[in-house]
Amino acid sequence: MNTNSNAYTIIYTTAIVVVVAAVLAFVSQSLKGKQEANEKADTISQMMTAAQFGSKADFQAKGNTAVLAEYAENIAEAFTVNSKGQKIADFDLGKVYSPSELKKLNYIIKGAQDGEAELPVFIFKDNTTVVPVYGAGLWGAIWGYIAFEPDGKTIKGAYFDHESETAGLGSKIKDDVNFQNEFKNEYADFGAEKVFEIVKGGSPKEADGSEIIDNKIDAITGATMTSNGLSEAVSQWLKAYAPYFEGLAPVEEEVAEEAVEETIAEEE
Amino acid sequence: MNANLKETILNPIFKGNPITVLVLGICSSLAVTVTLKGALVMALSVIAVTGISSLILSTLRNTIPSRARIIVQLVVVAMMVILVDQILKSFEATYAIDKQLSVYIGLIITNCIVMGRIEAFALGNKPIPSMLDGIANGVGYGMILLIVAFFRELLGSGTLFGFDVLNRIGYVPNNLVILPPFALILLGCIVWVQRAIQKDLQEK
Repeated sequence: MNTNSNAYTIIYTTAIVVVVAAVLAFVSQSLKGKQEANEKADTISQMMTAAQFGSKADFQAKGNTAVLAEYAENIAEAFTVNSKGQKIADFDLGKVYSPSELKKLNYIIKGAQDGEAELPVFIFKDNTTVVPVYGAGLWGAIWGYIAFEPDGKTIKGAYFDHESETAGLGSKIKDDVNFQNEFKNEYADFGAEKVFEIVKGGSPKEADGSEIIDNKIDAITGATMTSNGLSEAVSQWLKAYAPYFEGLAPVEEEVAEEAVEETIAEEE
Repeated sequence: MNANLKETILNPIFKGNPITVLVLGICSSLAVTVTLKGALVMALSVIAVTGISSLILSTLRNTIPSRARIIVQLVVVAMMVILVDQILKSFEATYAIDKQLSVYIGLIITNCIVMGRIEAFALGNKPIPSMLDGIANGVGYGMILLIVAFFRELLGSGTLFGFDVLNRIGYVPNNLVILPPFALILLGCIVWVQRAIQKDLQEK
């Protein structure tokens, strides 16, 4: 048989592509369940890391079953809110939002797509509220979770993940615990145009070396685009959640502000 | 075992090592050698890809139209790479490592060792020797990866396979070791050692 004829070449390459496609489709279908379970456990451990239940490495070491059990034990409420901050409906406590679901919400939040954004809110039994953020980094999508103290203003913790940021630079949003810890105790200024910022020189220190509490943290050196993208993502998503958080506990907020004023007065 | 087959297996491991002698697969050996775990998973993945694609393509070698052979090779190698990636994603134990290695698993397809061995060996030899050649090249590659990763994890994080080793005695991890340039320096040292032992590799 002439293996160099045009007809043979075309038929052969077509056949091999069809066979390979069939094999891959079959494998992808049969492994889908396991992969989704892994992804779900990973997402849950990200939320729990943000809510300060432990470090990401700890959750990884525990394994999927333990992570799911710990989540089920600690989650109190999960519901969606609309752009006015009103609760729409509860959803299954076992449900989490995958990056692709966040991506769809992101289109609506950024105004690229019409529709009412149904934003997920996760509340843990210790009254920590966790909300997702999603946006574009330098090379691909970035997303993560931000946990708020019961006052709905002070940030308790944060965890971020990314698709393909530069290893060692942009990937620090995920790998550098120190960067994530910078979010702790800062607050989200829901009234401002930029609710939260990640900028160069965003963490000025007091004369005595203590951190100034504001709605800014320092960007990552050498990863300007990733930092800008994350800043944009956090700010836009928290802005979308602003009506919800603002309507949460106005009384407590005033108390918190008074407390801050008092400390300032004392320092003076 | 005849001498030829023995040569096929042993040559890529030392005398004709794909990284230190042929200088192929440098990119990934800089990227995935920060931890031993990552390097081990990467090494096993490459062994699986080179071994099985060589076996498949060698079996098909008499039917492949020569004008479209690169396309056929690419399709088979790409299939193997996607399979490896899918399998790594499915197991709890390897999911995190797969995430950590991220694009580098997918980039095995661009690893010159894979296509190089198929083109140079598998298309002209019987299936079993071809598979052994693929596996041996993967082992040669993986061995260097593990040596580099051993030093990088030990000196860069003070651990081995995630267990504290130097950290126990108050060692302060060296950040330079974590960065890719140090992997290149280490590779250079390995090439130096190998050339000192194997004089015939030295240029006159």
